[in-house]
Amino acid sequence: MNGIPTIASAAAEIASGRVSPVALAEACLARIDQHEAKLNSFIRLERERAIASARVAEAEIKAGRRRGPLHGIPFAHKDIYETAGIPTTCHSKLLQDYVPTKDAFTVAKLAEAGIVMLGKLATHEFAVGGPSFDLPWPPARNPWATEHFTGGSSSGTGAAVAAGFVLGGTGSCTGGSIRTPSAFCGLAGIKPTYGLVSRSGIQPLAFTLDHAGPLAWTVEDCAILLQTMAGHDLADPGSANVQIPDYRAGLVAGLAGQRVGVVRHFFETDNPVSAEVGAATEAAIGVLSRLGAQVSDVTLPPLLDWNACGWLILISEAYAVHEPWLRTRYNDYGKNLRERLTLGAFVSAADYINAVRFRRELQENLARVMADVDLLVLPTTVGPAPRLEDVTSFSSFETPNFTIPFNVAGVPALSVCNGFSASGLPLALQIVGRPFEEARVLRAGHAYEQATSWKERRPVL
Amino acid sequence: MPAPKATITRDEFDARVRQTGLPLNESQKAEFFAVYGYIEAMAERVRAGGHRRREVEPAIVFKPIR
Repeated sequence: MNGIPTIASAAAEIASGRVSPVALAEACLARIDQHEAKLNSFIRLERERAIASARVAEAEIKAGRRRGPLHGIPFAHKDIYETAGIPTTCHSKLLQDYVPTKDAFTVAKLAEAGIVMLGKLATHEFAVGGPSFDLPWPPARNPWATEHFTGGSSSGTGAAVAAGFVLGGTGSCTGGSIRTPSAFCGLAGIKPTYGLVSRSGIQPLAFTLDHAGPLAWTVEDCAILLQTMAGHDLADPGSANVQIPDYRAGLVAGLAGQRVGVVRHFFETDNPVSAEVGAATEAAIGVLSRLGAQVSDVTLPPLLDWNACGWLILISEAYAVHEPWLRTRYNDYGKNLRERLTLGAFVSAADYINAVRFRRELQENLARVMADVDLLVLPTTVGPAPRLEDVTSFSSFETPNFTIPFNVAGVPALSVCNGFSASGLPLALQIVGRPFEEARVLRAGHAYEQATSWKERRPVL
Repeated sequence: MPAPKATITRDEFDARVRQTGLPLNESQKAEFFAVYGYIEAMAERVRAGGHRRREVEPAIVFKPIR
């Protein structure tokens, strides 16, 4: 380990007075100064604001007014989360000068918890455009190998957390945009249940598929972040009004007796993974079994069903959001985004409704399967991070992914690092739960992390 | 998985483009026509071969607001 703390360890050091939030922020800023030019993880760095905020945190903590584990922690937001007085560009020419007057609900909650915001992070254009070189800012690069894709769309968050520029960051997920960068950058990231984290003040992509959630180095850190991010918001019509358990306290319960279903057909027949991803998945299943889980294979509807349903809904809803600008400013969008969104124009109303009806059937099928298991596991991605030049506009249609099924179902899904490829790129396991059972999902991910040593390895920048 | 061949003709596709009001140039139209088969394949899949029971509801349910 090269000295980059986790949120949990930094929180303990801050609480004990051994480390000051100012020193922590300065250390992160020094790393940014040294390495950010290679990674392009930030759209906008707010250096002075961050140091001022860290000084306020330091003073409050010294005065005995520590707000909790996030107080004084260096953090950053995906640049689709609105931040009052700070541009929120969605990594797009169309919003490059847009300055919101109000924080997103989740931004305000994290600010109240005392995070020290270092800036706004790169994303795919409007959270769907893919890594693009024709935008006002370059795409983020993978700290493990800078010619490789970070995954997206929470690309800047993936890069910045892996590089130790911040200790955590916000992401959003419509088809895999928290889990994929988590997987490709060696992080933990959770897409919670639909509605657990408010979407208000986050630029929408597809209303019924959008989820907000955290990315961090460890599952424990995700639990700490989710504790603050979760909560009812009247301004979000999809917001769930549910009791929020203590996610961090629940981590220690372990896996004994948990019934784990392996969605084997997804990654062995529906979209076969590489040999090393297969081996890493089997090894992870072995670890879960040794930790006391009862493992069995389960069968869901075919992966192509989930992908067809999810992508038709996504491109239809996203097209509706962007239609006015696509008609009047088509070529101001980047090429990747234009291509991905334009296909939504060709989905008929009947096909959209049929996709939404199919969605109910798929949800019900999943619920029946999960009546007999507590968790599902499968790889997060088909392989490690590809090279940037190999990511195409239509890659989502060319091969089905393992993440969008759980956006379609709206259930919680966590990605954890489960090894490295022969070329040193991270691999990842996906752990899925029933609606609002984030605590069980996080507990399984934490148990796995504690039983393995993958988190000891950081990218060398 | 390459895009399946579209079942509609290029002229029919161009008519659909005109309906969208999107200012696509010839090169862009050609590019989208080449991948239009993906949309058709996904639509076919969600139609369930026309065998879905009529009473199956969408996943989104309308709720009146007070």
